[in-house]
Amino acid sequence: MEMKNKIIKGVTTLVLLAVGLVCIFPFIFMVSSSFKLSGDVMKFPFTLIPDPFTLDNIKGLFTNGIYNFQKWYVNTIVMTALTIGIKIFFVSFTAYGFSKIKFKGRDAIFLVLLSAMMIPSDIMILPRYMIFKNLHILDTMWALILPSCVDVYFVFLLRQSFISIPESISEAAKIDGCSHFAIYRKIVFPLAKPAIATMSLFSFVWAWNDYMGPYLYINTMDKQMLSVGVKLFSSGLTQDYGAQMAAATVVLLPILIAFLFCQRFFIEGVASTGVKG
Amino acid sequence: MKKKNRAVKTKMTKAEKKETLTGYLFVAPYLIFFLIFTGIPFLVAIGLSFVNVKYITQLDNLKFVGLRNFEKIFASKEIMQSLWRTFEYSLVYVPLIMIVGFGLAVILNKGVYLKNTLRSMMFLPYVSNMVAVAVIFKVLLGTNGPLVQGLRSLGFDPPILLQDIKLALPTVAVIAVWKSVGLNMVTYLGALQDVPKELLEAAQIDGANRWQRVRHVIIPMISPTTFFLLISSITGSLQNFTVIQSLTDGGPGQATTVMSVNIVRTAFSKYETSLASAMALIMFVIVMAITLIQWRGQKKWVNY
Repeated sequence: MEMKNKIIKGVTTLVLLAVGLVCIFPFIFMVSSSFKLSGDVMKFPFTLIPDPFTLDNIKGLFTNGIYNFQKWYVNTIVMTALTIGIKIFFVSFTAYGFSKIKFKGRDAIFLVLLSAMMIPSDIMILPRYMIFKNLHILDTMWALILPSCVDVYFVFLLRQSFISIPESISEAAKIDGCSHFAIYRKIVFPLAKPAIATMSLFSFVWAWNDYMGPYLYINTMDKQMLSVGVKLFSSGLTQDYGAQMAAATVVLLPILIAFLFCQRFFIEGVASTGVKG
Repeated sequence: MKKKNRAVKTKMTKAEKKETLTGYLFVAPYLIFFLIFTGIPFLVAIGLSFVNVKYITQLDNLKFVGLRNFEKIFASKEIMQSLWRTFEYSLVYVPLIMIVGFGLAVILNKGVYLKNTLRSMMFLPYVSNMVAVAVIFKVLLGTNGPLVQGLRSLGFDPPILLQDIKLALPTVAVIAVWKSVGLNMVTYLGALQDVPKELLEAAQIDGANRWQRVRHVIIPMISPTTFFLLISSITGSLQNFTVIQSLTDGGPGQATTVMSVNIVRTAFSKYETSLASAMALIMFVIVMAITLIQWRGQKKWVNY
């Protein structure tokens, strides 16, 4: 019986390993191909180790003179960093207000916010375009940063995690003369760090990967983001497979690295907080 | 007694007043931003659907046209076809992601070696950039891609999936499932771990086999998660602009032009602002209707 169980376990593992390989094969193919000569990418059967090994595809991205990858890269990094930074403070500050301060109308307002989560963002693309134009942030990265900072979902998640911090702690601080701002800064924010870490990681991934925002609201080539850039690049060079794979690698690399080091935060964050797509 | 209570309630003490003021100070910045970027846009979107704006920036000459935009939509074969394609896409996407996500979670939970590694492998596509992934898939499934070449060498004549009028839409939906199934799986995994062990053991002692335990213990126990995932998968399947735009641009021909793609096209290439808003409003109403139906129907199968 023991033996039989082990065999079953082993076979299931192998089956799932096959599924797992299907999940990561495109990435393996991408990384391997970006170091191959363009003509070798499509060679069949697929070889994992590039032979000959070349860095020309990667170099070509930054020296081709038409597509400004450096600029896109810098733009995307700055935009993502600002999004995460602003979002952490903005959202946690608000979540504190909705969880630790008892004020009239609080729950009613929060209910309105929650029901707004049902509104699909597709319906707002045109009005937002008009508003960005009036605020003079159209064609700037602020058109991407500011709307993503009003993410109701993260207010909801952080509020949940703040509520689970015992009331007695902030009561004690209050008696010691702490203001709400001090309690937020010195007690609640530090105690909620795991939830905030999960939030930051997902904000990073979503901001970095966003395609619709820059596609709709950014026109100037030099202000563009990587997601749109890589699409332009690959439609421009449909036959140069090595270069395309190099472009995809460059876009995915920061995400893959972040995932490699923080996978537990990502995955357990989903399981414990229920992040949805 | 009642009167007295009310008097106490309306008269706030000084401390309460201060608390309320602080509360509003904490949430006011957010509420202002929320109004600007979500509240007002939502109302404007509804308003736009009933007027006759053509170019997005020309707002003079506004005229109320009633339901004219909606009449136009229901009369337009091209738009109705894209709406139909959206449903076709969802019909592939939603069942597949629900079943595969659940299946993977059950198997992973049931005891395999390398559980965490496998979990991470399957979650990886979720965090990746769709546009970059699309670049890879276009090469992988392309005319000279390894998949096609492999099948050819075995004597088959495989279609070029993303360029096939009939197969492009289901292919895109399957790639979207590949991309997002990790999230469903991990969410299910979290729910499965909360199923009490004693319950499963009790069922086992009563002679329930593995399948019966899944069917009669696990599935009812995790039904709230299923409900939540079902709603978010349906909503997600209707907001598929990035997946489709990056993989096929709505082609070949119109084969993958679903509503989300058509709305953006109508708004930003044809400059039919009001028509696009009305199309988006229809999608919103559909999402709301589906959610409400689910909400009412949940009592029958969701156990809290």
